[in-house]
Amino acid sequence: MPTGVESPAKVGTTQSPRLATEADAIRLAQGGDAGAFEQLYQLHSRRVYALCLRMVGNPSDAEDLLQEAFLQLFRKIGTFRGESAFSTWLHRMTVNVVLMRLRKKSLPAASLEETTEPDEETGGPRKDIGAPDLRLSGAVDRVNLERSIEKLPPGYRTVFVLHDVQGFEHNEIAGIMGCSVGNSKSQLHKARTRLRELLQEDLRDQARAERHAAKTQAGLGD
Amino acid sequence: MECKDIEVVLEQEGLEPLPEEARAHLAECVDCRSYVADLTALVDVANKLPAEIAPPERVWVSLRAQLEAEGIIRQAAEEVTAQPTSWWSSLQAFFSNRVLATSSVGIVLVAAAVFLVRSESVAPPSRAEIARRTPPITQVVPPANQPAKGPNAAGPLTAPSRVSAPAEFASTAQALDDQEPLATGLIASSNSTIDASLRDNLKKVNEFIADCERHLKDQPQDELTREYLSAAYQQKAELLSAIIERGRSIN
Repeated sequence: MPTGVESPAKVGTTQSPRLATEADAIRLAQGGDAGAFEQLYQLHSRRVYALCLRMVGNPSDAEDLLQEAFLQLFRKIGTFRGESAFSTWLHRMTVNVVLMRLRKKSLPAASLEETTEPDEETGGPRKDIGAPDLRLSGAVDRVNLERSIEKLPPGYRTVFVLHDVQGFEHNEIAGIMGCSVGNSKSQLHKARTRLRELLQEDLRDQARAERHAAKTQAGLGD
Repeated sequence: MECKDIEVVLEQEGLEPLPEEARAHLAECVDCRSYVADLTALVDVANKLPAEIAPPERVWVSLRAQLEAEGIIRQAAEEVTAQPTSWWSSLQAFFSNRVLATSSVGIVLVAAAVFLVRSESVAPPSRAEIARRTPPITQVVPPANQPAKGPNAAGPLTAPSRVSAPAEFASTAQALDDQEPLATGLIASSNSTIDASLRDNLKKVNEFIADCERHLKDQPQDELTREYLSAAYQQKAELLSAIIERGRSIN
Protein backbone atom coordinates (compact mmCIF):
# COMPACT_ATOMS: atom_id res chain seq x y z
CA MET A 1 0.00 0.00 0.00
CA PRO A 2 1.71 3.17 -1.07
CA THR A 3 2.43 5.69 1.62
CA GLY A 4 4.21 8.78 0.62
CA VAL A 5 4.72 12.45 0.72
CA GLU A 6 1.53 14.43 0.94
CA SER A 7 1.32 16.63 -2.08
CA PRO A 8 -1.86 18.64 -2.26
CA ALA A 9 -0.63 20.64 -5.22
CA LYS A 10 -1.44 18.94 -8.44
CA VAL A 11 0.43 19.37 -11.68
CA GLY A 12 0.22 22.57 -13.63
CA THR A 13 -0.24 25.11 -10.86
CA THR A 14 3.31 26.44 -11.04
CA GLN A 15 4.07 25.65 -14.62
CA SER A 16 5.57 28.92 -15.85
CA PRO A 17 8.33 29.53 -13.26
CA ARG A 18 9.39 25.91 -13.38
CA LEU A 19 9.47 25.76 -17.16
CA ALA A 20 12.43 28.11 -17.54
CA THR A 21 14.54 26.05 -15.14
CA GLU A 22 13.48 22.77 -16.71
CA ALA A 23 14.22 24.03 -20.22
CA ASP A 24 17.75 24.94 -19.13
CA ALA A 25 18.20 21.58 -17.48
CA ILE A 26 17.05 19.78 -20.62
CA ARG A 27 19.48 21.73 -22.76
CA LEU A 28 22.36 21.02 -20.38
CA ALA A 29 21.41 17.38 -20.09
CA GLN A 30 21.52 17.08 -23.86
CA GLY A 31 25.14 18.11 -23.52
CA GLY A 32 25.82 15.42 -20.94
CA ASP A 33 25.78 17.61 -17.83
CA ALA A 34 25.52 15.46 -14.70
CA GLY A 35 23.86 18.11 -12.58
CA ALA A 36 21.19 18.68 -15.20
CA PHE A 37 20.31 14.98 -15.26
CA GLU A 38 19.99 14.97 -11.52
CA GLN A 39 17.84 18.08 -11.57
CA LEU A 40 15.45 16.55 -14.09
CA TYR A 41 15.32 13.37 -12.03
CA GLN A 42 14.57 15.31 -8.84
CA LEU A 43 11.88 17.32 -10.64
CA HIS A 44 9.94 14.32 -11.92
CA SER A 45 10.93 11.15 -10.09
CA ARG A 46 8.36 11.37 -7.32
CA ARG A 47 5.40 11.61 -9.67
CA VAL A 48 6.76 8.87 -11.88
CA TYR A 49 7.46 6.63 -8.90
CA ALA A 50 3.94 7.21 -7.55
CA LEU A 51 2.51 6.18 -10.90
CA CYS A 52 4.69 3.06 -11.11
CA LEU A 53 3.88 2.07 -7.54
CA ARG A 54 0.14 2.32 -8.11
CA MET A 55 0.38 0.42 -11.35
CA VAL A 56 2.39 -2.55 -10.07
CA GLY A 57 1.57 -2.50 -6.37
CA ASN A 58 4.99 -3.28 -4.93
CA PRO A 59 8.01 -1.06 -4.24
CA SER A 60 10.61 -3.39 -5.68
CA ASP A 61 9.07 -3.53 -9.15
CA ALA A 62 8.21 0.16 -8.96
CA GLU A 63 11.87 1.04 -8.32
CA ASP A 64 12.98 -1.02 -11.30
CA LEU A 65 10.38 0.61 -13.50
CA LEU A 66 11.34 4.07 -12.30
CA GLN A 67 14.94 3.45 -13.20
CA GLU A 68 14.02 1.93 -16.55
CA ALA A 69 11.77 4.85 -17.46
CA PHE A 70 14.43 7.43 -16.70
CA LEU A 71 17.09 5.38 -18.41
CA GLN A 72 15.05 5.35 -21.60
CA LEU A 73 14.31 9.03 -21.22
CA PHE A 74 17.92 10.05 -20.73
CA ARG A 75 19.11 7.83 -23.56
CA LYS A 76 16.76 9.66 -25.90
CA ILE A 77 17.00 13.12 -24.46
CA GLY A 78 19.00 14.29 -27.42
CA THR A 79 15.93 13.77 -29.59
CA PHE A 80 13.62 15.91 -27.46
CA ARG A 81 12.60 18.95 -29.48
CA GLY A 82 9.90 20.38 -27.27
CA GLU A 83 6.91 19.57 -29.45
CA SER A 84 5.22 18.20 -26.34
CA ALA A 85 5.73 18.98 -22.68
CA PHE A 86 8.70 17.19 -21.19
CA SER A 87 6.47 15.78 -18.47
CA THR A 88 4.11 14.34 -21.06
CA TRP A 89 7.01 12.74 -22.89
CA LEU A 90 8.36 11.25 -19.69
CA HIS A 91 5.01 9.92 -18.57
CA ARG A 92 4.41 8.40 -21.98
CA MET A 93 7.62 6.46 -21.65
CA THR A 94 6.72 5.47 -18.12
CA VAL A 95 3.31 4.16 -19.11
CA ASN A 96 4.85 2.18 -21.96
CA VAL A 97 7.48 0.69 -19.68
CA VAL A 98 4.86 -0.24 -17.10
CA LEU A 99 2.43 -1.79 -19.55
CA MET A 100 5.24 -3.78 -21.17
CA ARG A 101 6.18 -5.14 -17.76
CA LEU A 102 2.58 -6.05 -16.98
CA ARG A 103 2.26 -7.85 -20.30
CA LYS A 104 5.41 -9.82 -19.62
CA LYS A 105 3.92 -10.89 -16.32
CA SER A 106 0.96 -12.24 -18.29
CA LEU A 107 -1.48 -9.92 -16.64
CA PRO A 108 -4.26 -8.99 -18.99
CA ALA A 109 -3.05 -5.66 -20.36
CA ALA A 110 -6.42 -4.27 -21.19
CA SER A 111 -6.80 -2.32 -24.35
CA LEU A 112 -8.33 1.08 -24.09
CA GLU A 113 -11.51 -0.33 -25.52
CA GLU A 114 -12.58 -2.31 -22.49
CA THR A 115 -16.27 -1.99 -21.96
CA THR A 116 -18.49 -2.21 -18.99
CA GLU A 117 -21.95 -3.67 -19.18
CA PRO A 118 -24.50 -0.91 -18.97
CA ASP A 119 -27.84 -1.61 -17.46
CA GLU A 120 -29.61 -3.71 -20.05
CA GLU A 121 -33.09 -2.42 -19.39
CA THR A 122 -32.60 1.30 -19.37
CA GLY A 123 -29.07 1.69 -20.66
CA GLY A 124 -28.51 3.89 -17.66
CA PRO A 125 -26.13 3.61 -14.73
CA ARG A 126 -25.86 0.39 -12.85
CA LYS A 127 -28.21 0.52 -9.95
CA ASP A 128 -28.04 -1.22 -6.65
CA ILE A 129 -31.71 -1.27 -5.89
CA GLY A 130 -32.56 -2.03 -2.29
CA ALA A 131 -28.95 -1.73 -1.12
CA PRO A 132 -28.73 1.48 0.90
CA ASP A 133 -25.87 0.00 2.91
CA LEU A 134 -23.72 0.06 -0.22
CA ARG A 135 -23.60 3.82 -0.51
CA LEU A 136 -20.01 4.91 -0.71
CA SER A 137 -20.32 8.35 0.86
CA GLY A 138 -18.50 8.16 4.14
CA ALA A 139 -17.47 4.56 3.52
CA VAL A 140 -14.56 5.08 1.13
CA ASP A 141 -11.18 5.63 2.65
CA ARG A 142 -7.66 5.72 1.26
CA VAL A 143 -6.92 2.13 2.16
CA ASN A 144 -9.84 0.50 0.44
CA LEU A 145 -9.60 2.86 -2.51
CA GLU A 146 -5.91 2.03 -3.06
CA ARG A 147 -6.76 -1.65 -2.76
CA SER A 148 -9.51 -1.29 -5.34
CA ILE A 149 -7.30 0.70 -7.71
CA GLU A 150 -4.89 -2.24 -7.75
CA LYS A 151 -7.72 -4.45 -8.97
CA LEU A 152 -8.54 -2.27 -11.97
CA PRO A 153 -7.41 -3.46 -15.40
CA PRO A 154 -4.17 -1.70 -16.37
CA GLY A 155 -5.75 0.58 -18.96
CA TYR A 156 -8.41 1.87 -16.58
CA ARG A 157 -5.91 2.07 -13.75
CA THR A 158 -3.56 4.23 -15.79
CA VAL A 159 -6.17 6.78 -16.78
CA PHE A 160 -7.67 6.94 -13.30
CA VAL A 161 -4.32 7.44 -11.58
CA LEU A 162 -3.18 10.04 -14.11
CA HIS A 163 -6.40 12.05 -13.88
CA ASP A 164 -7.93 11.66 -10.44
CA VAL A 165 -4.76 11.10 -8.42
CA GLN A 166 -2.05 12.96 -10.28
CA GLY A 167 -4.18 15.71 -11.76
CA PHE A 168 -3.37 15.44 -15.45
CA GLU A 169 -5.93 16.91 -17.83
CA HIS A 170 -7.52 14.83 -20.57
CA ASN A 171 -5.52 16.49 -23.33
CA GLU A 172 -2.32 15.57 -21.46
CA ILE A 173 -3.52 12.01 -20.87
CA ALA A 174 -4.34 11.73 -24.55
CA GLY A 175 -0.75 12.65 -25.33
CA ILE A 176 0.60 10.19 -22.77
CA MET A 177 -1.62 7.30 -23.80
CA GLY A 178 -1.65 7.99 -27.51
CA CYS A 179 -5.42 8.22 -27.65
CA SER A 180 -8.07 10.89 -28.25
CA VAL A 181 -9.42 13.20 -25.59
CA GLY A 182 -12.82 11.56 -26.00
CA ASN A 183 -11.27 8.16 -25.42
CA SER A 184 -9.55 9.39 -22.29
CA LYS A 185 -12.82 10.72 -20.91
CA SER A 186 -14.60 7.50 -21.74
CA GLN A 187 -11.98 5.33 -20.07
CA LEU A 188 -11.94 7.53 -17.00
CA HIS A 189 -15.69 7.22 -16.58
CA LYS A 190 -15.51 3.46 -17.01
CA ALA A 191 -12.68 3.28 -14.50
CA ARG A 192 -14.69 5.22 -11.94
CA THR A 193 -17.74 3.05 -12.51
CA ARG A 194 -15.69 -0.10 -12.13
CA LEU A 195 -14.09 1.25 -8.95
CA ARG A 196 -17.54 1.91 -7.57
CA GLU A 197 -18.43 -1.74 -8.19
CA LEU A 198 -15.24 -2.95 -6.54
CA LEU A 199 -15.80 -0.77 -3.50
CA GLN A 200 -19.38 -1.95 -3.19
CA GLU A 201 -18.18 -5.56 -3.31
CA ASP A 202 -15.78 -4.66 -0.54
CA LEU A 203 -18.60 -3.20 1.52
CA ARG A 204 -20.75 -6.26 0.87
CA ASP A 205 -17.95 -8.53 2.05
CA GLN A 206 -17.44 -6.44 5.14
CA ALA A 207 -21.16 -6.42 5.96
CA ARG A 208 -21.30 -10.19 5.46
CA ALA A 209 -18.34 -10.71 7.74
CA GLU A 210 -19.87 -8.50 10.41
CA ARG A 211 -23.19 -10.36 10.25
CA HIS A 212 -21.38 -13.65 10.53
CA ALA A 213 -19.38 -12.41 13.49
CA ALA A 214 -22.54 -11.16 15.17
CA LYS A 215 -24.27 -14.53 14.68
CA THR A 216 -21.28 -16.37 16.02
CA GLN A 217 -21.20 -14.12 19.03
CA ALA A 218 -24.93 -14.58 19.61
CA GLY A 219 -24.54 -18.34 19.32
CA LEU A 220 -21.76 -18.33 21.87
CA GLY A 221 -23.84 -16.25 24.20
CA ASP A 222 -26.72 -18.72 24.26
CA MET B 1 -33.40 13.78 -19.42
CA GLU B 2 -33.51 10.07 -18.63
CA CYS B 3 -31.28 7.79 -16.62
CA LYS B 4 -29.35 6.59 -19.66
CA ASP B 5 -28.54 10.18 -20.58
CA ILE B 6 -26.86 10.73 -17.21
CA GLU B 7 -24.25 8.15 -18.16
CA VAL B 8 -23.45 10.05 -21.35
CA VAL B 9 -23.23 13.36 -19.51
CA LEU B 10 -20.92 11.94 -16.86
CA GLU B 11 -18.67 10.45 -19.51
CA GLN B 12 -18.42 13.61 -21.57
CA GLU B 13 -18.58 16.33 -18.91
CA GLY B 14 -17.29 14.64 -15.80
CA LEU B 15 -18.83 15.10 -12.38
CA GLU B 16 -18.79 18.88 -12.07
CA PRO B 17 -20.36 21.06 -13.02
CA LEU B 18 -23.38 19.08 -14.18
CA PRO B 19 -25.69 20.76 -16.72
CA GLU B 20 -29.01 22.09 -15.53
CA GLU B 21 -30.98 19.26 -17.15
CA ALA B 22 -28.86 16.65 -15.44
CA ARG B 23 -29.28 18.31 -12.06
CA ALA B 24 -33.01 18.42 -12.57
CA HIS B 25 -33.05 14.69 -13.27
CA LEU B 26 -30.93 13.94 -10.22
CA ALA B 27 -33.36 15.88 -8.05
CA GLU B 28 -36.07 13.39 -9.03
CA CYS B 29 -34.13 10.11 -9.44
CA VAL B 30 -32.82 8.45 -6.28
CA ASP B 31 -30.79 5.86 -8.10
CA CYS B 32 -28.97 8.32 -10.35
CA ARG B 33 -28.46 10.62 -7.40
CA SER B 34 -26.84 7.79 -5.44
CA TYR B 35 -24.74 6.84 -8.43
CA VAL B 36 -23.35 10.33 -8.85
CA ALA B 37 -22.82 10.66 -5.08
CA ASP B 38 -20.81 7.43 -5.07
CA LEU B 39 -18.61 8.52 -7.94
CA THR B 40 -18.09 11.91 -6.31
CA ALA B 41 -17.13 10.28 -3.01
CA LEU B 42 -14.49 8.04 -4.54
CA VAL B 43 -13.05 10.83 -6.69
CA ASP B 44 -12.82 13.06 -3.61
CA VAL B 45 -10.75 10.43 -1.83
CA ALA B 46 -8.64 9.87 -4.95
CA ASN B 47 -7.88 13.59 -5.16
CA LYS B 48 -6.41 13.42 -1.66
CA LEU B 49 -4.09 10.49 -2.39
CA PRO B 50 -0.45 11.56 -2.63
CA ALA B 51 0.35 12.46 -6.22
CA GLU B 52 4.06 12.19 -5.44
CA ILE B 53 5.89 9.49 -3.52
CA ALA B 54 9.58 9.82 -2.81
CA PRO B 55 11.58 6.90 -4.21
CA PRO B 56 14.56 5.49 -2.30
CA GLU B 57 17.88 7.20 -2.92
CA ARG B 58 19.37 3.97 -4.21
CA VAL B 59 17.40 4.32 -7.45
CA TRP B 60 19.25 7.52 -8.37
CA VAL B 61 22.50 5.95 -7.26
CA SER B 62 22.01 3.01 -9.58
CA LEU B 63 20.65 5.15 -12.41
CA ARG B 64 23.54 7.55 -12.28
CA ALA B 65 26.05 4.71 -12.33
CA GLN B 66 24.36 3.28 -15.39
CA LEU B 67 24.30 6.66 -17.15
CA GLU B 68 28.00 7.12 -16.53
CA ALA B 69 28.74 3.60 -17.68
CA GLU B 70 26.95 4.33 -20.95
CA GLY B 71 28.73 7.66 -21.35
CA ILE B 72 25.46 9.59 -21.29
CA ILE B 73 26.74 11.67 -18.37
CA ARG B 74 29.90 13.12 -19.80
CA GLN B 75 30.85 15.89 -17.44
CA ALA B 76 31.07 14.19 -14.04
CA ALA B 77 34.89 14.46 -13.90
CA GLU B 78 34.95 18.12 -14.93
CA GLU B 79 32.27 18.98 -12.38
CA VAL B 80 34.28 17.48 -9.58
CA THR B 81 37.60 19.10 -10.48
CA ALA B 82 36.01 22.51 -10.86
CA GLN B 83 35.10 22.74 -7.20
CA PRO B 84 37.33 22.97 -4.15
CA THR B 85 36.73 19.86 -2.09
CA SER B 86 37.64 18.32 1.19
CA TRP B 87 40.10 15.48 1.43
CA TRP B 88 37.31 12.91 1.58
CA SER B 89 35.52 14.41 -1.43
CA SER B 90 38.80 14.43 -3.35
CA LEU B 91 39.30 10.76 -2.67
CA GLN B 92 35.73 9.94 -3.62
CA ALA B 93 36.03 11.87 -6.86
CA PHE B 94 39.32 10.19 -7.64
CA PHE B 95 37.74 6.82 -7.01
CA SER B 96 34.77 7.60 -9.16
CA ASN B 97 37.01 8.40 -12.09
CA ARG B 98 39.72 5.83 -11.72
CA VAL B 99 38.66 2.81 -9.85
CA LEU B 100 34.90 2.38 -9.64
CA ALA B 101 34.01 4.54 -12.59
CA THR B 102 31.04 2.47 -13.65
CA SER B 103 29.73 1.61 -10.27
CA SER B 104 30.12 3.42 -7.06
CA VAL B 105 30.33 7.14 -7.80
CA GLY B 106 26.83 7.31 -6.43
CA ILE B 107 27.39 4.76 -3.68
CA VAL B 108 29.57 7.27 -1.85
CA LEU B 109 26.64 9.64 -1.72
CA VAL B 110 24.46 7.16 0.15
CA ALA B 111 23.57 7.78 3.75
CA ALA B 112 26.10 7.67 6.58
CA ALA B 113 28.81 5.00 6.68
CA VAL B 114 28.56 2.18 9.17
CA PHE B 115 32.13 2.61 10.17
CA LEU B 116 34.47 5.58 10.28
CA VAL B 117 37.88 4.07 9.93
CA ARG B 118 40.21 7.00 9.72
CA SER B 119 40.21 10.33 11.50
CA GLU B 120 40.63 13.43 9.46
CA SER B 121 43.71 14.41 11.44
CA VAL B 122 45.81 12.54 8.91
CA ALA B 123 47.20 15.09 6.51
CA PRO B 124 45.42 14.44 3.24
CA PRO B 125 47.27 14.39 -0.02
CA SER B 126 46.35 17.33 -2.21
CA ARG B 127 44.49 16.74 -5.43
CA ALA B 128 47.56 17.67 -7.46
CA GLU B 129 49.66 15.27 -5.44
CA ILE B 130 47.20 12.45 -5.99
CA ALA B 131 47.15 13.12 -9.71
CA ARG B 132 50.94 13.29 -9.91
CA ARG B 133 51.81 10.26 -7.80
CA THR B 134 49.10 7.82 -8.60
CA PRO B 135 49.16 5.71 -11.70
CA PRO B 136 45.99 4.13 -13.06
CA ILE B 137 44.57 1.78 -10.47
CA THR B 138 45.65 -1.33 -12.31
CA GLN B 139 49.22 -0.32 -11.48
CA VAL B 140 48.64 0.56 -7.86
CA VAL B 141 49.05 -3.07 -6.97
CA PRO B 142 52.33 -4.20 -8.47
CA PRO B 143 53.10 -7.39 -6.62
CA ALA B 144 56.41 -8.49 -7.92
CA ASN B 145 55.51 -11.82 -9.40
CA GLN B 146 51.93 -11.32 -10.47
CA PRO B 147 50.41 -9.37 -13.32
CA ALA B 148 48.81 -6.05 -12.44
CA LYS B 149 45.24 -6.72 -11.61
CA GLY B 150 42.36 -4.50 -10.59
CA PRO B 151 38.71 -3.83 -11.21
CA ASN B 152 39.39 -2.38 -14.61
CA ALA B 153 41.85 -4.98 -15.74
CA ALA B 154 40.96 -7.16 -18.68
CA GLY B 155 40.15 -10.78 -18.21
CA PRO B 156 37.60 -12.71 -16.20
CA LEU B 157 36.82 -11.38 -12.78
CA THR B 158 37.25 -13.99 -10.09
CA ALA B 159 36.70 -13.87 -6.37
CA PRO B 160 39.60 -11.81 -5.00
CA SER B 161 42.17 -13.63 -2.95
CA ARG B 162 42.67 -11.75 0.27
CA VAL B 163 45.68 -11.34 2.47
CA SER B 164 45.10 -10.30 6.04
CA ALA B 165 44.12 -6.68 6.47
CA PRO B 166 46.66 -4.27 7.94
CA ALA B 167 46.53 -4.30 11.71
CA GLU B 168 44.78 -0.97 12.09
CA PHE B 169 41.95 -2.14 9.80
CA ALA B 170 41.66 -5.69 11.07
CA SER B 171 38.56 -5.27 13.21
CA THR B 172 36.83 -3.16 10.57
CA ALA B 173 37.60 -5.64 7.82
CA GLN B 174 36.34 -8.50 9.98
CA ALA B 175 33.12 -6.67 10.81
CA LEU B 176 32.46 -5.99 7.14
CA ASP B 177 33.23 -9.59 6.22
CA ASP B 178 30.78 -10.76 8.86
CA GLN B 179 28.02 -8.52 7.48
CA GLU B 180 28.55 -9.39 3.84
CA PRO B 181 26.84 -12.81 3.77
CA LEU B 182 23.77 -11.35 5.47
CA ALA B 183 23.56 -8.54 2.94
CA THR B 184 24.18 -10.57 -0.19
CA GLY B 185 21.78 -13.26 1.01
CA LEU B 186 18.93 -10.76 1.07
CA ILE B 187 19.21 -10.02 -2.64
CA ALA B 188 20.78 -13.25 -3.87
CA SER B 189 17.71 -14.45 -5.70
CA SER B 190 16.66 -11.12 -7.16
CA ASN B 191 16.98 -10.50 -10.89
CA SER B 192 16.27 -6.79 -10.82
CA THR B 193 18.72 -4.43 -12.49
CA ILE B 194 19.23 -2.51 -9.26
CA ASP B 195 20.21 -5.62 -7.32
CA ALA B 196 22.49 -6.80 -10.11
CA SER B 197 24.15 -3.40 -10.04
CA LEU B 198 24.59 -3.56 -6.27
CA ARG B 199 26.14 -7.04 -6.47
CA ASP B 200 28.47 -5.84 -9.22
CA ASN B 201 29.47 -2.81 -7.16
CA LEU B 202 30.23 -5.00 -4.17
CA LYS B 203 32.37 -7.28 -6.28
CA LYS B 204 34.40 -4.35 -7.60
CA VAL B 205 34.88 -2.90 -4.12
CA ASN B 206 36.04 -6.27 -2.78
CA GLU B 207 38.52 -6.63 -5.61
CA PHE B 208 39.90 -3.18 -4.94
CA ILE B 209 40.20 -3.91 -1.23
CA ALA B 210 42.05 -7.12 -2.01
CA ASP B 211 44.42 -5.27 -4.32
CA CYS B 212 45.17 -2.61 -1.70
CA GLU B 213 45.70 -5.18 1.05
CA ARG B 214 48.14 -7.12 -1.10
CA HIS B 215 50.03 -3.95 -1.99
CA LEU B 216 50.25 -2.81 1.62
CA LYS B 217 51.57 -6.20 2.63
CA ASP B 218 54.48 -5.65 0.25
CA GLN B 219 54.85 -1.93 0.82
CA PRO B 220 53.48 -1.09 4.25
CA GLN B 221 54.95 2.41 4.08
CA ASP B 222 52.73 3.44 1.16
CA GLU B 223 50.42 5.96 2.80
CA LEU B 224 48.46 6.70 -0.32
CA THR B 225 47.37 3.09 -0.71
CA ARG B 226 46.52 3.08 2.98
CA GLU B 227 44.21 6.05 2.36
CA TYR B 228 42.65 4.28 -0.61
CA LEU B 229 42.03 1.20 1.50
CA SER B 230 40.45 3.29 4.22
CA ALA B 231 38.09 4.85 1.73
CA ALA B 232 37.31 1.49 0.19
CA TYR B 233 36.26 0.04 3.54
CA GLN B 234 33.98 3.00 4.02
CA GLN B 235 32.50 2.54 0.58
CA LYS B 236 31.95 -1.13 1.31
CA ALA B 237 30.20 -0.25 4.55
CA GLU B 238 27.90 2.15 2.74
CA LEU B 239 27.25 -0.38 0.02
CA LEU B 240 26.38 -3.15 2.47
CA SER B 241 24.06 -0.75 4.26
CA ALA B 242 22.30 0.04 0.98
CA ILE B 243 22.03 -3.67 0.11
CA ILE B 244 20.56 -4.53 3.51
CA GLU B 245 18.04 -1.72 3.26
CA ARG B 246 17.10 -2.81 -0.23
CA GLY B 247 16.90 -6.47 0.77
CA ARG B 248 14.58 -5.76 3.67
CA SER B 249 12.25 -3.76 1.47
CA ILE B 250 11.82 -6.57 -1.06
CA ASN B 251 11.61 -9.44 1.42
